[in-house]
Amino acid sequence: MILARHADALLWTGRYLERAETTSRCLNYAANSITHLRGDEARAEGELMVRTLGLQEELEAVGPLESQPQLVAFLLSDTDNPGSVVSAVIAVRENLRSVRDRIPIELWEEANGLYLRFPFLGHANVAPAGLHEVLLMVRRACLAISGVLNEGMRRDEGHAFVVVGRMLERSIFTVGLLEASHSDARGVMDATRMLRLTSSLQAYHRQHGNAPDPDGVVRYLLHAPDLPRSVLSCLNRAEEGLTGLGANAAALDRARRKAALLRARLELGEVEEAMTSAPVATLQDFAAQLAGLASDVHAGIVPPLAMATVQAQYVRPGHADEPGNEGEPGHADEWAQ
Amino acid sequence: MLGLTRESGRRRDLPWSAVVDPVPETRSGLLDRYQPVGAFDEAFDDDGSVRDTYSRIVERFRELDVDEIKRLEKLVADEFRRQGITFTVYSEDEGTERIWPMDLFPRLIAAAEWDELARGLSQRVAAMNCFLADLYNGGGQAIADGVLPRWLVMSSQGFERNAMGIAVPHSAHCNVAGIDVVRDADGRYRVLEDNLRSPSGISYVVENRAAMAKACSWLFYDHAVQPTEQYGQMLRSTLESMAPGGEDDAHIVVLTPGIFNSAYFEHAFLARSMGVELVEGRDLVVDGHNVYTRTIEGLVKVDVIYRRIDDHFLDPVAFRPDSTLGVPGLLSALRAGTVTVCNALGNGVVDDKGVYPYVPELIRYYLGSEPIIDNVTTYMMWDPDQRREALDRLDELVAKPVGESGGYGVLIGPHATEQQLDEARATIEAEPRDWIVQELVQLSTLPSVADDRLEPRHLDLRPFVLTGERTQVFPGGLTRVAMRRGSLIVNSSQGGGSKDTWVLAPEAP
Repeated sequence: MILARHADALLWTGRYLERAETTSRCLNYAANSITHLRGDEARAEGELMVRTLGLQEELEAVGPLESQPQLVAFLLSDTDNPGSVVSAVIAVRENLRSVRDRIPIELWEEANGLYLRFPFLGHANVAPAGLHEVLLMVRRACLAISGVLNEGMRRDEGHAFVVVGRMLERSIFTVGLLEASHSDARGVMDATRMLRLTSSLQAYHRQHGNAPDPDGVVRYLLHAPDLPRSVLSCLNRAEEGLTGLGANAAALDRARRKAALLRARLELGEVEEAMTSAPVATLQDFAAQLAGLASDVHAGIVPPLAMATVQAQYVRPGHADEPGNEGEPGHADEWAQ
Repeated sequence: MLGLTRESGRRRDLPWSAVVDPVPETRSGLLDRYQPVGAFDEAFDDDGSVRDTYSRIVERFRELDVDEIKRLEKLVADEFRRQGITFTVYSEDEGTERIWPMDLFPRLIAAAEWDELARGLSQRVAAMNCFLADLYNGGGQAIADGVLPRWLVMSSQGFERNAMGIAVPHSAHCNVAGIDVVRDADGRYRVLEDNLRSPSGISYVVENRAAMAKACSWLFYDHAVQPTEQYGQMLRSTLESMAPGGEDDAHIVVLTPGIFNSAYFEHAFLARSMGVELVEGRDLVVDGHNVYTRTIEGLVKVDVIYRRIDDHFLDPVAFRPDSTLGVPGLLSALRAGTVTVCNALGNGVVDDKGVYPYVPELIRYYLGSEPIIDNVTTYMMWDPDQRREALDRLDELVAKPVGESGGYGVLIGPHATEQQLDEARATIEAEPRDWIVQELVQLSTLPSVADDRLEPRHLDLRPFVLTGERTQVFPGGLTRVAMRRGSLIVNSSQGGGSKDTWVLAPEAP
């Protein structure tokens, strides 16, 4: 049986690992595409990328994007931005460090190795030369970590939580990408962009030819059961992971049921149908339900016992933090035997 | 050869020795200018000839050149960095994690020498366990019989009133002891310090060996070295024997303050090598005088807690109310006998350097035998005659605060200025209970890598003694080495390094 804290750390390991890889991929795409754009178009692409990654609030704290280097710093090395590559790498390492005793040594070494390859860690807003190489290195390291997770880790509850975390993060990103693409101020959905940002271009070409249409791509990214980054595929794996946590983890039942419900909505075409009349609102609603699923998983990790009640039995009598107990006769001696 | 590692055995006996890590063939003269520094050198006689135990290892190092040494050092450092084998120096502002340098020239201890040392360590820990059991559960017979003064024990910061009457299985209060020993100018082992609370360093013993085996496997071919990787099994069996009621399938956890603790790497290492959970205080909860872990499936009862947290942080109800590291109600569970905390509460009284001078007498009192390993000659500052004598000669002696560890607060007379000596005298006169003064021991030396050659560096040794249902001395230990020429400070927090310690197996008949 896994400790609740360990479950939490491994869930977040999965989420941050996915985030590090996704942000690296998106930043690489943005840096390349902006090179070919000028003025307002470049700014619009930068802002779309921030919206795609769901980092609008974090950007507001920094201020409006004025230049490409600023975008790079924000998404790569800004440690105040929890969605930056460096923040995600640090979070992966710190979460794995707190469960070092239960993960394969190789998994820790890969994560620690990735962290050590950032010489500028701790110095926010320093973008290295050779951005592409750095981002490629991060993505390769993330793949190496995934490899150890898949091939070197026992299929226990810990592994299930990493998978659930990754699938939640991935599905939230894909839905966020679709929603941002639909609401692009430029009024055109770029089908190739959506496929590139989900590493799905090659797979789409093989299955549907070389001329992607936006609506077809949206359906593909929502429904394709064999595409690792489709929402349906993510929900299937998240549900599988939650089911594998054992019948005794009753507190996770709610999350399991919600995952199944969301999967069913996709499979039955309910989401696609609703999108024909109100695509953005439908995707926003789906994104909110995915966020709710993530909250339910977090809530389910805390054991179903009123911990506060148990802790209160042992709060120091007469301690200032416990109003009403001050000077209560007899209590102090009970603890001083 | 049972029980020996893969690297043990003689080179010619190993069919694969010819294809892995060939021994370099150059003769570099790394040791040609080696000059002992007036202390006992463990590798070389006074006349400069190599001692038997070290003959083969010295020969191997003579075959290395500086470039190869540097390459191997980098290999080891990279390995430690990659694995995150680090410790924290709290006083440093930059970064929190630092690698502890390992010197490549290993320390060798011959089988017969180790046997004698192990017997002495077992004897010492047995006597200290007897004293702790007597003090907390036996009415304090040793004090009543005048072996050591009551006021000294009661005034110790390590004495824990809350430990009185708590039953301890097998009367084994100290399950893991780290005894710091040194070799004096004649080469005799002497105990410098006892650590019976949460002695650290065992992870470096095991990881140093692993790193040496990876980087310099050819060094092992000439020696039968006792393995170190079995420590987790030894510790687990020791802790299992401490379960209340002697449960067969005891639920053991390692309790750590968390990832920011200086020894977090070691805590994770211990949990992993035993195959048990590493928990923080917030993972545990006490309900109905039982301790439980908080899992995703609810609460699971705990039988044994190997804690790496000081007494005063263990339970905010009984000790420091501001502690967020401990478990509210843990003391109540201890009193109810539903859980065992290892090491037991209150062991700090024996770590008190003020109690240290009495340990030989405790051995005689409880075991009826003479100490196999002597203390370093120590002057008790609360004794007016001893204080006068020691303060007169303070420039030749070493003054130590009784409540400190890690080398903090130590004054080495010959290295101190007049002003420092005067200040120390005044401090000791003001609070004599807080100080002991010892004869300066010129710690033994071994060749150690220094730039482009091997030079003598001072070192000590921390062997580990495990006690549960029975006592076992782990065959190895943490050799700490002063990295600066002439320095006697070996502590990691003060810039010391470490060496791999090879306890040699007995020669086959």
